[in-house]
Formats: sequence, structure tokens, C-alpha cells
Amino acid sequence: MSVPVAPPEPDDAPGVTLRGGGLAWRPVAPQLATARTVPLLAALAVALLACVVVALLVTPWVWLGVPLLLAAGGWAVWLVRRQVSAISWVELEEEIVIRKGRLFRSLVSVPYGRLQYVDIQSGPLARALGIASCEIHTASPESGGSLPGLPTAEAEALRARLAARGETQRAGL
Amino acid sequence: MTQPDTEGGWQRLHPLSPLLRGGVVLLAVLGYLVSQLVDEVLGSFDAGGYVPGGDAGPQEEWAWRAYPLLALAVLVLVIAAVAGASWVSWRFSRFRVADGQVELRTGVLFRQHRQVPLERVQAVETTRPLLARAVGLSQVVVQSAGGSDSHLTLAFLGAERAERVRAHLLELAGRSDEGAPAQRLPGAAEEVEGAEPLVAVPNGRLFVATILHGSTLVLGVVLVVGGFALGVGRVGLEVLAAAPALIPVVLGLGVSRVKELLVHGNFSLARSRTSLRVRHGLTDLRVASVPLHRVQAVEVLQPLWWRPWGWWRVRVNVAGVQGEGGDDEETTLLPVGTLAEALTVLGALGAHPEDPVLHEALTGTGGESGWTGPPRVARWLDPWSWRRAGYALAAHAVYLRAGRFTRHALVVPHARVQSLALDQGPLQGRLALASVRVVSTPGPVGPQVQHLAVADAERLLARVAERARVARRRVPDPAPALTRRPEPPLAPGGAPLVD
Repeated sequence: MSVPVAPPEPDDAPGVTLRGGGLAWRPVAPQLATARTVPLLAALAVALLACVVVALLVTPWVWLGVPLLLAAGGWAVWLVRRQVSAISWVELEEEIVIRKGRLFRSLVSVPYGRLQYVDIQSGPLARALGIASCEIHTASPESGGSLPGLPTAEAEALRARLAARGETQRAGL
Repeated sequence: MTQPDTEGGWQRLHPLSPLLRGGVVLLAVLGYLVSQLVDEVLGSFDAGGYVPGGDAGPQEEWAWRAYPLLALAVLVLVIAAVAGASWVSWRFSRFRVADGQVELRTGVLFRQHRQVPLERVQAVETTRPLLARAVGLSQVVVQSAGGSDSHLTLAFLGAERAERVRAHLLELAGRSDEGAPAQRLPGAAEEVEGAEPLVAVPNGRLFVATILHGSTLVLGVVLVVGGFALGVGRVGLEVLAAAPALIPVVLGLGVSRVKELLVHGNFSLARSRTSLRVRHGLTDLRVASVPLHRVQAVEVLQPLWWRPWGWWRVRVNVAGVQGEGGDDEETTLLPVGTLAEALTVLGALGAHPEDPVLHEALTGTGGESGWTGPPRVARWLDPWSWRRAGYALAAHAVYLRAGRFTRHALVVPHARVQSLALDQGPLQGRLALASVRVVSTPGPVGPQVQHLAVADAERLLARVAERARVARRRVPDPAPALTRRPEPPLAPGGAPLVD
């Protein structure tokens, strides 16, 4: 029975789609890629060093490991860049939508009225790069969206906006 | 109860409470002391005796041995001290219900004052642990949304008083959240706390249903095949070598089945004006109240082996009731029942028992109009159930169904949707499929539809989001959506679907 559902808002017209679509999706800060690559490269450097040492001291066969490691490292760096560039988000009238992933795509749509609280976190590296991650909590632990890699000021602003909207659109549990 | 009949409305717990709370420990300590004493008294008559050789505490050993009467005096003193401490503890434990809050003060040195606002109360239950039951006491557990840490336990009260307190709290909590006109039930003459019995599950049926479980059936088959192989096939006794490996499996299985029986035994469900009242427990009888408007999502399921009997189980997600009660206890509204009984329970939750969509969700096999399911390519990922799986949107709720063998039917009211999520793995990506999760609060019900066509999944997302938006707006604050009159009542005849 056609309950006259309120006509979709104009910005709903393009619709939220898994692959993006017409909405004004916003990317996260590219520094996030750096923040994720640095620990990766550090680990890679340690592994390479170990590899070289073993190759020099024990058997030259281990030299084979070096190109393998380099290849794996290059692949990981490429992957991180792709992952980071795949994260995008948009604030709609009544919900915030976060998209992630290329191979494993996911999309979370959290209504402002369901927000319980918002966390902002940033580690030392992220702080040095001037980014922070914004974690959105609802009454259900599995529905929280996390939005990594926002410029710190923007993360704070987002939190303030979310809090304000959550207040006005609050629905019960 | 707001008037100060005992200073400021504060009330005391039952005087035996501290003893019972420390009950087991106290018994253990007493038992230890007594056995020690008896040993020593007997030992002192032993002529040779043992020489208190240890250098640790010869004095004490001596004291015990030489002066049994002194030891007795110490014991009496200890008991007196415990009694005294209990009395003081009892004096300092007080609770009250006032100003829209339940408050409990405990502790002498380390004082604790816990307050739970009534509108945050999710459920109130009375339980009777074994020791307390022996002396006819109950405890009242006031559950709030913050998980088991934020619960407030009134232990202990006389059984009758506990029931009164529970009813009072529920009434206050129910009233303070309800705000809106009380729920109107068709043709039900409700008394104030007149719990109208809905369903009772005979223990015999529960027993059969408990045995009819995938794991027990598999085990039975294994045993039969094993026995057959031994007897007829003359496989040889080396097969028996595998038997010890089975023992833990059998044990674990037995424990889980017995636990199921213990938890769901003596099950009965009653409805009062604002809540459902669940009584269950074979040995530890529990009475829990589920306020109707806290119900977030409903699932009706039927394992394959229950199908010949036409049995169903109904469970729900209730806001704030996770963790403490385990996954099963407070959230199962019908452990095993006939279709009619399941529909009665659903009716109490606000569904229309003759709602065609509901019936399609329960037993449909796929292809009904109004239902959107996975497209044909989904058979590569879900060869058995793809035809049946799917969703239907009604005016007030979204219906999901899944499982060709073990049937699942889920209902989530639009006003109860926490958030929505789409997921797509690489294989799904190739086949242009995606899964949709309609996120509810924590609980046994996890509403989702797997392997929908991407366009359908996106449409579901958009529609549910839209409806949820409208429903949230329409229902201010704690929204008894599932429970209030189903907004536009699900017309049994017409098409209750929007498309």
C-alpha cells in the first residue's frame, strides 16, 4: 500500500551506490597513505636488512629473497595507495555514508539520529602528518563507521557537526 | 513510594542479604574451620600426636592443639564478627525509587552510590539463586543500556516484595518512556498488572526439540555408522581407537543440550500492558520482563528437523540485554512452539498474525510478488537458498528471509534500523552482487540479505534509509514502533507492500 513516503530529497536523487555515483563523495587526506606506508616501509627495511645479513654470513641463496621482498613491498605500497584512494565519504541530509575498498567493497550509512558518540584518534605519526581518524559509534558495535585520515581540523569540525545533527535528529535507541 | 515513609523514601534490603551474598564463601570458610577444629580436637587425644615440627607457626599450631576450647571460642568470635559485619553492611545498604531514578547505596568504607534513570531502564528481572531460593528470597536486577556493568542489583528481597518492586519499577519505566498514548490492544481488557498468558511450552516438547539438533543428529549417525561398521563390516577394533577422540565432543554436546534444557525449561510467556513477561528455567526459575518498545528486531527460525513437527523458535534483539543474560536467555521469546504459538508471540510484538508477507517470510520458497531476492547468478555462491532468500518492504518494517533448510524470517521495524551497510567481496563483484546488512543492536538476530543484485541492494538501502528516516521523525524519542499499533495496519487482504 503506497504510504506516501516523503519525496526523496533532491540530493538523494543520484542515490547512494556502492561504486560512487553522482554524489559529491569526498576523499580522505592523501597523507593517510603516507601514514600507512611508513610503518610498512620500516618493516620492509628490517626484513631486507635481515635478508642481507643472512645472505652475507650464511648462504648467498638468500639474496633471492631481496627482489621478492622488494616486489612484495612495492605491491603493498601500491595496495595502500589504492585502498586509501578508495575511501570516500559524504554527508547527506540525514546520514553520513562511508565507502571503502575496491576488491572488498563496503558501504556504511549511519543516520545522524542514531549516533551515540564520536571518537577522534590520532597516533604520533598521524599527528605529525596532521591527520586524525574519526570513529562513529551507534548503539550497535558493528554498525560504527570509521573514517580514517581526515585533516585534524576537519575531523574536529566533523565531530562538531555530527554532534549537533545528532542532537537535533536524535531518535531513541 | 515517593513519600518518605523511611527517611527520604530509602528502603532496606532483606536482613539476610549480606549473609546470602557472601553465602558460598561463608559456608566454605565455616566448613574449613569446623573440619580443622575437629581434626585438632581428635588429634589432641591422639597419644603420640604429631610433633609440630614446622617452624612456620609453631605457636599457632600449639594453640590449636592445646586449647580446643580456645579454638572454639575463636570460631564463635568469628561467627559473631561475620554476623556483625553483615548487620552493619545491611544497615548501610539502602535503595529507593524516586525522582525518576532507582538508586542503590552500598558499602561502609568503600561507599557506592549507583543511580539509574528510569528512562534508561531496559528491563527488570527477578532471579532466585539456589541459596536464596532455599530461604525464599529473590533479587531484582535492573538492567540498563550500558551492559552488565551498569546493572543495578537489589539483592535480596523477600520474594513477594521483589515482585512488587519489579512491577512498580516496570510500571514507572514503562510509563516514563511511553509518553505517547498507551498501546492499544485490540479487544483486550487489561488489568493493571494483569499479565495475560500467551504461550507455555511443555517440557516434553522442549526435550524432543532439544534432542533434534544438528549436532546430536550427526553424532547419532556417526555412532550408528560406527556400530554398523564394527558389527557387520568387521572393520576391526582399531576403529575403537577413534572413540576417545569422540568423548570431549560428546561431553561438550551433552553440556550444551542440557544447558538448553535448563535454560528453556518451564517456559511460559505472558503479556502485560507494556511488556512481555518471560518465565523460564528448569532449576533456576527466572522471570524477565522485556518492555515491548525495547524490541529491536525479531527472528523466527525453523531448523530442518523441526519442520515435520512444524515447530518454530522466536528470538529478538532487545536493546540493552546482551552480555549479561547470555545470548539465549532473555532474548528467546519462544524456545520451540507451533506456528500458531509463534504467530501469537509475533502478534504480541505488533505483527498481524494473518499478514501475508509474514507468512511468505516464514514459508515462502521464492518468487512471490513483493519479494526481491538474489538473481539467478547468485546460485554460484549460494546454490541452495538463493531462491528463497530475499527482502520485502512493508509500510512499517522490512522483512528478510533466508535459508532453504533452516528457515529464517526476520522483521526489523523501520524505526529500529541502526544503520545500513553494503558489502561486496571479489566474487560478488564479478557477478555484480552485494550483501546488505540492516544493522540492529547486539543480540541473536543479525538481519542481512546475501548476494542481491547490486542495483537491488542499492535500492533496498535507499528505501530502508528513507523509511527509517520517516519513521524516526514520526515517532519521537523512544519509539515503540514494532509494538504500537502497526502504523497503517497491515491489511491482511490488500497488498501491504509498497512495491
